[in-house]
Amino acid sequence: MSDDKTHAAGGVEPGDTSKRVGMEVIRERGVDPEELREKLIDAIGAEFTTYYYYTNLRMHLAGEEDYKEITEDARLEDRAHFELVVPRVYELEGSLPNDIRDFADRASCPDAEVPTPMDDEGGFDTSELEVEDILEVLLEAERCAIRTWSEICDMTREADPRTYDMAQRILNEEIDHEAWFIELLSKERDDEINPAGHFARGEPGDAPYSTNNRFNDSA
Amino acid sequence: MMATDDGPDIWTVTITIPKDVDRDDAGRTFEIEVSADETILAAARREGVWLPADCQQGWCTTCAGRVVDGEVTHPHARRYHDEDREAGFALLCTARPRSDVTVVTDQYDELLAFRAKHDRPPGNAKFNDD
Repeated sequence: MSDDKTHAAGGVEPGDTSKRVGMEVIRERGVDPEELREKLIDAIGAEFTTYYYYTNLRMHLAGEEDYKEITEDARLEDRAHFELVVPRVYELEGSLPNDIRDFADRASCPDAEVPTPMDDEGGFDTSELEVEDILEVLLEAERCAIRTWSEICDMTREADPRTYDMAQRILNEEIDHEAWFIELLSKERDDEINPAGHFARGEPGDAPYSTNNRFNDSA
Repeated sequence: MMATDDGPDIWTVTITIPKDVDRDDAGRTFEIEVSADETILAAARREGVWLPADCQQGWCTTCAGRVVDGEVTHPHARRYHDEDREAGFALLCTARPRSDVTVVTDQYDELLAFRAKHDRPPGNAKFNDD
């Protein structure tokens, strides 16, 4: 390195690996990167628990193959959201909780449990389980995710384009998901036509926004 | 309270923003009308008072506040405990007034510590990896 032309370093000394310019530029723009990181962990905790709970919800849409397939799309896309943001947590000097119970406890959205009590043998009591009840759980889970990623968009807008880009791509898919479940619940519960405006994804869990930059083929 | 002929009761909710929050409205007090079937958060945002929130399902605790006078109810909160209520905490995203109410906003850190002390999530889960 030339002695008379050092690297432009800002507040981080040349060669200092104890700090990240990728975090300091966020701080300089008024956002606390540590606070943001913790919020991201909460948010992807919700994506991860949703992926888990949607497995159960999908299973219990027995005989409703179209509903199962759409739930599977949402399930796999929520996992894609988790996968998309995990590296960002580490870039911001964070990590996933070592104990998965902590991860679930701090998830920013409620557990999307099958809306039925357990029976005496520890299984699901499905005697009064209705498809519309499952669809409502799915819908409210998506609505929570929309609120969470909207908050993260607000927090990062004009301060952290990298996280903002991730959050807005996830938000796009969560809004798709809400539209799907509004359509299905409207028809199932109210016998109303309330179109989502979409057709099916190309492949299950296609995640057109969060896995890459393709546009939604079915839009 | 404002009497209504057909709709739900409407209550006056006084919202106090702590002085030390990082928002333009720090230290201000707002008075809004909130119907009995409306949440304090929704009414505040409708009136242009931007309060913190995330899930809006009474789960994440981002919207935590403290009730200093009056009564609220949380019929749809997903994670709200008796000890929260007894300590005066409210989740404003799901809290509905049952009288004229005064609340202090931005009590997330305080509720988090309180939950941790009582071994309730997300309390310890947020502190374990610090």
